[in-house]
Amino acid sequence: MTTLIAKPEKTVSLSITAGSIVLSSLVLLTLLGVLAGLARLVLGLGATTGLNDGYSWGIWIGFDFVLIAFSGAGFTMAAIAHVLRLHRFEPAVRPAILAGLMGYTTVLVLLLLDLGRPDRFYHFLLYWNLHSPLFEISLCILFYSTVLAIETAPFLLERLKWPKLVRFLQKFMMVVAITGVTLSSLHQSTLGTLYLNMPHRLDPLWYSPALPLLFFVSSIMAGLSMAMLAYYVAASILGQKVKAEVLHGLAAGAAWVTLLYILLKLGEFAVAGELPALFSFDSMSQLMWLELGLGAVAPFLLWLIPAIRRHRMGQWLTPGLILFGVLFNRFSATLLAQTPPAGTPPYSAHILEWLSTLGIIAGAALAWYIAVRWLVIFEDTGKAGRHA
Amino acid sequence: MTAPKSKELSRRGFIKCLSASAMAGATLKFTAGPAAASEAAAGQSWGTLIDLTRCTGCESCVLACKQNNRLPNPEITATQLDSDAYTCLEKRKTGPIQIHYVKRQCMHCLHPACVSACTVGALRKTAAGPVVYDDSKCIGCRYCQYACPFGVPTFDWESPLGLIHKCQFCQARLDQGQKPACAEACPNGALRCGRREELLAQARAQIISNPGRYVDHIYGEHEAGGTSMLYLSAIPFAELGFPELGSEPIPQKAENVMAQTPLIALTVAAVASSLAWFLQRREKLAQLSIAVKDHQEDQA
Repeated sequence: MTTLIAKPEKTVSLSITAGSIVLSSLVLLTLLGVLAGLARLVLGLGATTGLNDGYSWGIWIGFDFVLIAFSGAGFTMAAIAHVLRLHRFEPAVRPAILAGLMGYTTVLVLLLLDLGRPDRFYHFLLYWNLHSPLFEISLCILFYSTVLAIETAPFLLERLKWPKLVRFLQKFMMVVAITGVTLSSLHQSTLGTLYLNMPHRLDPLWYSPALPLLFFVSSIMAGLSMAMLAYYVAASILGQKVKAEVLHGLAAGAAWVTLLYILLKLGEFAVAGELPALFSFDSMSQLMWLELGLGAVAPFLLWLIPAIRRHRMGQWLTPGLILFGVLFNRFSATLLAQTPPAGTPPYSAHILEWLSTLGIIAGAALAWYIAVRWLVIFEDTGKAGRHA
Repeated sequence: MTAPKSKELSRRGFIKCLSASAMAGATLKFTAGPAAASEAAAGQSWGTLIDLTRCTGCESCVLACKQNNRLPNPEITATQLDSDAYTCLEKRKTGPIQIHYVKRQCMHCLHPACVSACTVGALRKTAAGPVVYDDSKCIGCRYCQYACPFGVPTFDWESPLGLIHKCQFCQARLDQGQKPACAEACPNGALRCGRREELLAQARAQIISNPGRYVDHIYGEHEAGGTSMLYLSAIPFAELGFPELGSEPIPQKAENVMAQTPLIALTVAAVASSLAWFLQRREKLAQLSIAVKDHQEDQA
């Protein structure tokens, strides 16, 4: 019946259907996620997760660290716009900052679920431990979320037509952006420092004194890739034409930063004498090849081929594989490349862990979609946004 | 001696100044890092010498611990550490008839990684030796479980408001001049509580005067920078499941990086600010020169 009615305007109705399927599944996932999250809060971690004393961080923390890296889109694009003043990338800045805000909100909710005492989440403000990487990360995430909220405020204020307040805020935007870049440099690298306290658990292929630098660099390559994706999807939602040179420029940036990452990683293997372990092709070596080969070397090499990077679909191989690589890297460091104390039962995530994780991410995607529709995302074309 | 000391002081002063908070200053004093614990103080702190060759597996220590700490099921012994057992006896079969019992509990490291890692400073190394835990601060992030090289801190998974649990070296009893509950309960003299320095000397003497009885290794003397709990064994410790650790304190590397935090922050902020200022000025100058050019052309 639907097809009969839809026939005259086939393309339009099809795109609406596809869009509404995506949106309604996001709504459904969000609702399931809320229920799963509530179940965890009421029943406790033991009943609702697969965690144990040897594997006491699971997919919540894994996705947290992945999302922080992906949300590097926010500080990377703020740096491009406000520090490097590369104005040709202006169209991609707002979708990325919005994605950053949603990403960090997701991180905060997931952290809240993971804490044994969510009711004491504010304790890191009262009791400081300057030696603790996790203390610094918590403080930076809190401050940086505030920075992202300030950076996002003009998107709303422009829609509300409060030009005076917008102009007032714009005066401070450079300072706010530099604060954001500083806070991000700190906590993105400190996420690497976090693992320096686990030499007895983390496989040597991942463990390195250079972890802070590696985490910082990989957050930039993930951030640029995420910014490409956010720009493309935002433009598609608003029915706008994507500027090819913006995508190409971001991909080039991501590719060169990825090369830097590969060189750092290889240099570290060589200095630490881990090349034999890298080429031993045991399970840890295979995992590293999957992450570094498929998630860093492959996207860089593919980007070098002009026919692929200029291809309408081919250009997505580089950011897509980079995001895959960074996702795997954070999951390896948190879970897959960890050796828990002897006698630890294996960890497999509880269904409620998956539901809550996917639900919260779906909720953030939904919030991002609504924000893209209702806020001013492309500065020069606020009107076009309303048409779409 | 003087130069590094003043450097250390100036670094602290620097951090304090930047954090601009009395609270930060107070916390710095309380959270002892590797730099804070001096060798002499460590030697005078309390420790326990655990002679595994004397352990018969009677489990008196486990039961005494449960009773003293008012843990659930005080009549049931434990074979692994969990939130209801701060110490346990692991049974290890190393041959057809050889059975070794290994008492496990917090090692009370001289440079505890859990203390360094704890987000809210709920764990603390006391001068007397014990690594103590303040459950009123803990947020249950469980980073300590990852930082501990001995797999000691356990989490209460059953409670909706779960917290960390671990041996506190019976701090209250030590303060009153009593032995820890486990050491007092041991009927075989396998647990000897004393000053760490003296225990090390006794352990060395025991190894020398009883040839063949012990392997020539005091586990905990150097492991992870040294621990308050020291072990003697008849067979190599690796065969009993003891982790093989170097003598570098676990938290050393992370603390070195964390100490650079103010420097990293200032560097990034300074570089980003000057770059932004310079590039913005260049833009303005370019716009100005275009405007001047247009004006000149208009006049011409």
